[in-house]
Amino acid sequence: MAALMLEISTRGLHRYQSIEREVTTIGRALDNDIILSDPTVAPHHLKIIRYGDDSVEIVNLTEVNPTRIGGHQRASLVTEALPVSLEIGRVQAQLLPQSFAVAATRPLAGGGRRGHLFGHASWAVILVLACLIAGGLEFYLNSYNSFKWSDLLKYVLRETVLTIGAFVLALTILERLLVNRWEIRQLVTSIALIYLLYYCSAYFVDAMDYLFSASWPSTLFRFGWYLGLIPCAIALYLIHISHLKRSRSIILAVLIASPIAVPSILQSPELRTLLDDFSSAARYHNSLSSMDLHLKPKVSIETFIQQAQNLGPGAYAD
Amino acid sequence: MFFRLLLTSLLLASITGSPAVALDSKKIYQINEDRVFQIRVLNRETGKKSSIGSGFIVGDGKQIATNYHVIGQVILEPDVFYISYLGKDGQEGELRLLGLDVARDLALLGADEPVGEPIKMSPLPSRGAPIFAMGNPLDLGLSIAVGTNGGILNQTDDSRILFSGSLNPGMSGGPTFNDQGEAIGINVATARNDISFIVPSRFLTDLIEQSAAGEFETGDDLKLEVARQVLAYENNYIEQLLASEWPELDLRQFSLPGVISPTVRCWDNSAKLSAIARYKRYQIRCANKNHVYLDEDNKFVGDLIYEYFWLESEELNAIQFYNLYENLNKDQIDSKLDRDIVSNFNCETWFVEVSGQELKANLCRREYVEYKGMSDVLFTAALTGHKNKGFFITLIMTGVEYASTLPLIQKFLEHTEWRP
Repeated sequence: MAALMLEISTRGLHRYQSIEREVTTIGRALDNDIILSDPTVAPHHLKIIRYGDDSVEIVNLTEVNPTRIGGHQRASLVTEALPVSLEIGRVQAQLLPQSFAVAATRPLAGGGRRGHLFGHASWAVILVLACLIAGGLEFYLNSYNSFKWSDLLKYVLRETVLTIGAFVLALTILERLLVNRWEIRQLVTSIALIYLLYYCSAYFVDAMDYLFSASWPSTLFRFGWYLGLIPCAIALYLIHISHLKRSRSIILAVLIASPIAVPSILQSPELRTLLDDFSSAARYHNSLSSMDLHLKPKVSIETFIQQAQNLGPGAYAD
Repeated sequence: MFFRLLLTSLLLASITGSPAVALDSKKIYQINEDRVFQIRVLNRETGKKSSIGSGFIVGDGKQIATNYHVIGQVILEPDVFYISYLGKDGQEGELRLLGLDVARDLALLGADEPVGEPIKMSPLPSRGAPIFAMGNPLDLGLSIAVGTNGGILNQTDDSRILFSGSLNPGMSGGPTFNDQGEAIGINVATARNDISFIVPSRFLTDLIEQSAAGEFETGDDLKLEVARQVLAYENNYIEQLLASEWPELDLRQFSLPGVISPTVRCWDNSAKLSAIARYKRYQIRCANKNHVYLDEDNKFVGDLIYEYFWLESEELNAIQFYNLYENLNKDQIDSKLDRDIVSNFNCETWFVEVSGQELKANLCRREYVEYKGMSDVLFTAALTGHKNKGFFITLIMTGVEYASTLPLIQKFLEHTEWRP
């Protein structure tokens, strides 16, 4: 008789019980061989009988929440074909042969090297410090009155520490619920990286708007950021740090990114233009840049007036 | 003895040429109470009033003068509303539109039969002379307000007389009399606190003549006629601006067009800065006063607003300065018109060389849905290429023909001079 394993699925992790006896009982009562403490599991829910010809019989023992065997509700099943999926109350399980092949080992991010970005807590600390400096710099570049350290501190606390802190807290809780792990160090590193990237891109995008005398660079950035980069970053994190399956990671990334992306996209002027084809405001390119780099050539007053004659009326709303 | 006195009085009168004895308000009221009506815009379905004003008999006795804004609703929805008059003794009847002077806010209405004796019209008396405004304030009945003539206001393109008396809603379209009981104007608006405005009677005389000459297209789509008149007025106004010499105005390193018309007033509009501000900003806002009432939805058009904004700082670095500069460069036309009234704006950007400097210019235009050929135009031009100096012009024109605004923008830029 080949040895069997019962795989009991919990959030992201699995628990394994070896089934070595000829008859193994499963249920919530303490006299079972395998005890499942879930309230939807009956005191004596099912039993598994191993036969000498390597076949196995799964017998349902309860009328309340009867066991679903191989996806179907049945009184018993005799089979040699493993694995067989089991639904015991709301507990998901699989009956596997001990020889069942497991997936290939996932390498640690950065090959597990201590100096890697996700490999050591000092990186998280360095990146958070960089975020604080970036927040402080943002405050400095947008403060037009006499500089006050107290204002800087308040701004950095409010804008940087609270933003990063809120994301770390929310995603830590999510991670714990989803994959049953704490990866705070890697999470802080990832969020700090995204924060820094956003901060640097904002200035770059502003300069691009001015360069092209257009708003498509900021539009592209806004949509690319919320619909592309954030979900991709979350998916990569889930695949490479949390080691979830690719398909599951993508679905989770979309779900996690949605509460951030959807309101931001809905509030974007571009989408509002798409959804509501009318605005009483004149949407002109008001961007200005200290670098003063632009692709449009400088023209004389006469040329400007001549070209302005071709400016058509705006579109009428439906 | 009696005959000697009479003879002496007649002799004195003939020597001095003095007119008839001045009438008081009581007498003027008594003479004209049958000749001033309440003008009502009524809903064809309910027969109830939607808006009211006043009007008075002119011309051949079948014509009634009032304000355009009193009957403006009929222009917008002629199928829903009609115009009616109501006299002191309850006589009433439907009126048809004979002619409009939208720019001066006048309308000439016609009855099928004579409705009374027309009021004689007269030029404006001397400044400070008593004048009397009659009308139906707040639907409370006919009344007369006494005040004095404050003279013709050149900031309204000579289309308004200042009346130091109290006009109230419902008196619009009523006559304003001199002390001989002759109409010198038509009540039109108030700014409260005994500051009111009268349209000079000469515009009404012109309107009656034009109507008699059949110059009005009062066909099915009255909005076409309204648009035609507004655009003609605005084009003429812009032509006058282009033909006139513009005084200079200095703002830091720029010499700019100053008060370009008697209709324009300029004010310092600089915001009060905090004591810890590390920059200086100066703002001048110039705007005209000769607005034109268009209709209930659009209210007024004919704005000519130009603003100059200067920003400088010795303490901010270039990035800080340009963050601030960009945040301030956001002027808009201050009207929240709906999609049924106007199109979206169409905007385009240029970099224009002005007096050796480069300005990032944006020109935007939108059209009125129901007033063919009428546009609102927004022009902004911001100085570029200086690390710690910023400047922008904003020029706004509403209810104009787009093509006619371009020469004005050109003249603005040509009169914008950089002084190193």
